[in-house]
Amino acid sequence: MLHRLYSPERWTFNGTDVSALQRQHAGLKRLQQQNYIVQNNSVEFGSNPLSGFRGLVSSSFHVVGAEGFVPSEAAMEQCSSWTSGCMTAEMETVKLKEINLALTPERDNSNKRKAEIAADERCIEKRSKGEVGMEYSEVKAKCSSTEISANTSSKENSKVSEVEKSKYIHVRPPRGQATGSHSLAERARREKINRKMKCLQELVPGCSKVTGKAGMLDEIINYVQCLQRQVEFLSMTLAALNPSQEFNVANFPAKEFPAYITKFPAAAKLPALANRACLPFFPTQPGATNCMPDVALHSPQASIERNSTYSVSTSQQTLNSSGISQLGPLSSWSLDSQGLYDEYNTGFQ
Amino acid sequence: MKNPSSSSVKSRFTRRFLRALIKINRQKPSSSSSREIFLRYRRIRIAADKAMACVIGSRRAWSRAVLRRIKNQKRKRLADSLRRSNGIHGMKKMVAKEEDEISYEQENELRKLVPGVGAMDLCSMLDETAHYVMCLATQVQVMRKIVDFYST
Repeated sequence: MLHRLYSPERWTFNGTDVSALQRQHAGLKRLQQQNYIVQNNSVEFGSNPLSGFRGLVSSSFHVVGAEGFVPSEAAMEQCSSWTSGCMTAEMETVKLKEINLALTPERDNSNKRKAEIAADERCIEKRSKGEVGMEYSEVKAKCSSTEISANTSSKENSKVSEVEKSKYIHVRPPRGQATGSHSLAERARREKINRKMKCLQELVPGCSKVTGKAGMLDEIINYVQCLQRQVEFLSMTLAALNPSQEFNVANFPAKEFPAYITKFPAAAKLPALANRACLPFFPTQPGATNCMPDVALHSPQASIERNSTYSVSTSQQTLNSSGISQLGPLSSWSLDSQGLYDEYNTGFQ
Repeated sequence: MKNPSSSSVKSRFTRRFLRALIKINRQKPSSSSSREIFLRYRRIRIAADKAMACVIGSRRAWSRAVLRRIKNQKRKRLADSLRRSNGIHGMKKMVAKEEDEISYEQENELRKLVPGVGAMDLCSMLDETAHYVMCLATQVQVMRKIVDFYST
């Protein structure tokens, strides 16, 4: 047992405190996790009281005979043989810990180092496999040269390799790893952008034919500009329409308006027809519109508009059918003021 | 991504916008000059923007930016609108572009177009742009129907 504890120190004690830490770490872990090893070790250790105790426990279920050898803690635990066996194992580990404490002067820093080693292990996982494999084989060769016992050699190997790797990463600048993570992040970002671009491609009409991100972005920019200008233009048109609109809006409450909008073609036919029917009388009927009681407020401005855009009103028949979108704001104004009266008439007749 | 062109957003925008229109129409114009039309246009434009941004709420950057801009615009309204329209027209110059990569000029152009994406990364900006495009399309659709309805 002591020989095994000493053995790692013998071959790795070349000035680095990592070897001492490694030996202690490996020993503690192994002993705490695997009790049966400790029990086997106790047989090898030559401590006859403990081996006799084991024999007693296994043969006669009572632990009476064990009390002579085991201290008082185990005496209190007389419920079963298994728990007492565990207790002996724990005691054994405590002993070994004391030995470790005596042997390692750097034990105070062990916790800190453990954390460092864990961090280094995490870093190492990201590195390329070839280097690690090479390192690992090297460490294996080293371990085989030393006298490590057979049942713990694999565990020792892994521990040693990790320590060696941590040493390795201290020596080498982590250049490759940095670029690796950067390139990974860059790739993820590019994929994200591609997904978003695809999403946008579906939204923007005519964008699916364009290849390349630059062309697509051009299309998107154009489309957004176009939509913003459309909103501008439509609000301008609404502004031009507005003086005549309040009757309509007052007639149609806002809640019912979407219904009107959805069946717009059917709803719009009647006023349009009435509009066209009234059109020939329009230039000769300023008095007729003036005599309407509710439109008195609007009549002066309407007459002004008629004077200013009289030439437009002659071609109103064609414009009326072609729709508002081809008209300037002023012509639509006059058109609408006339259309409003007609609509007003048809609404109340 | 939530679908902003759903019927609920559309109808809510329509309702808000029409309410704003009624409110604007209550104040009767003193004259029919082009100045008056321009003022009216600006108010309608702001009302449309505000209605859309209010419908979307504060969960999107562009709607937040629009609301903030409208709030800040109360004082320097005219100058800002002039500057914005100039900016849009001034951005017409084409950029020399590579085939497959997004150039900085394009990105900046899009940043100027979509409100509230000034300091975003490209991914979030594209997300915002998609949402903004959908909302703008809805807005245009509704406004066109209103105009069509009133113009007949």
